[in-house]
Amino acid sequence: MLSEGICNYVVISYGHSGLWGGGMRQVLLHSTGDGTVFGHFGAVGRYALAARRGMHEFSSGPQTWKHIAMGQRKWANLNPAAIMYEKTMQEEDYFRAPWVVEPFRLFDNCQINDGGRAIIVTTAERARDLKQPPVLIMGLGMHNPSNEVGQAKYMAGPTGAKKAGEKAFQMAGIGLEDIDACQIYDCFTYTVEITMQDYGFFGYGQGEDWFKGGTIEPGGRMPVNTSGGQLSEAYFMGLTPISEAVMQLMGRCEDRQLGPKTSTKTPQIILCSDNGGALQSHACYIFRRW
Amino acid sequence: MPLHKLLPTPDADSKPFWEGCRDHKLRFQKCTACGEVRWPPSILCPRCHSQDTQWIESSGRGTIYTFVVYHQAFHPAFKEKLPYVVAVVQLEEGPMMITNIVGCPPESLECEMAVQVAWDDVSEEFSLPKFQPLLQP
Repeated sequence: MLSEGICNYVVISYGHSGLWGGGMRQVLLHSTGDGTVFGHFGAVGRYALAARRGMHEFSSGPQTWKHIAMGQRKWANLNPAAIMYEKTMQEEDYFRAPWVVEPFRLFDNCQINDGGRAIIVTTAERARDLKQPPVLIMGLGMHNPSNEVGQAKYMAGPTGAKKAGEKAFQMAGIGLEDIDACQIYDCFTYTVEITMQDYGFFGYGQGEDWFKGGTIEPGGRMPVNTSGGQLSEAYFMGLTPISEAVMQLMGRCEDRQLGPKTSTKTPQIILCSDNGGALQSHACYIFRRW
Repeated sequence: MPLHKLLPTPDADSKPFWEGCRDHKLRFQKCTACGEVRWPPSILCPRCHSQDTQWIESSGRGTIYTFVVYHQAFHPAFKEKLPYVVAVVQLEEGPMMITNIVGCPPESLECEMAVQVAWDDVSEEFSLPKFQPLLQP
């Protein structure tokens, strides 16, 4: 629409009173149809089924997920806008937290909150003269395996991330080695692991080794979810990862800014992901500094 | 939703399934064009889009594809059942369905474990197909 001149600027926004009045709870309670007669509810029930299959097929599990939960919390501790800004997390905090739907403990789950986010998309030509430094969309890809979790055989991968990622990289004309940081849709810790595995950041079942030792944290070699993400900043659907990627490339992230301030590489290219359903739809975006 | 018991809400597609359950018969649609046995019930075969369908009775045996243990009640009807197991069971005939595993401690479960149907008569009208570990003959 933008390139055809049908419109000049597109606002993509998300706002929800997810916490106030139990808005998110109402959305999720009604999402599993007759599955409710078996006590099958919400996103956590569906993603936990996927995660258990991941534990069976490759060595996914809490020993990998704790690194994701703790690593993202460290980023949130640098972000005053994050819900968990003032709350640090140690390994014992992760393991002592109550089960929600096993194998997920409390801190494997994202936040439920009120609020919103918005981004503005336009052509590079129009963006040139705007007040803020723009960020370029280098590539995007989508892939939707679509089967509901009860009938899905892709819960332990390959999820839609595999083909969506391949398409995005092809469009961008770059490879994994060109990515400086990632903002991964993280409704649950497992989502981060399976998405990055399907993109190819590490080999099948190698997640625990890859995440350990602070890989994704401030000072790490591949920063992931640098606002704290949905696990520790706030849940705004796909706009949590996208808005953070864009703000990092614009240099607007203050104490958590990638670069010298957080002992990380100054980012030129950031990869983002978005999910729908229980791994049923997937989008991959690659952004570049202007 | 009512606070007491949750019951199925049959529609035109799923009515024969729930009627079978009432008689403790686990039935699925089989496509007469390509042979695909499907769940959930639908007017078209998801594999070949044929509308030619017959209902077949399942052996009631299958394996656990994946499972979870609920430690929080998302609805008051399940508060007293905690902790309880929700699983995806794959039947011998092929379909995969959301159900409960009952009759054994959650910690004894693993993926690929053999199970068989165990009926739970929840009302005059409805019996739920739950599953338990396969009893050895």
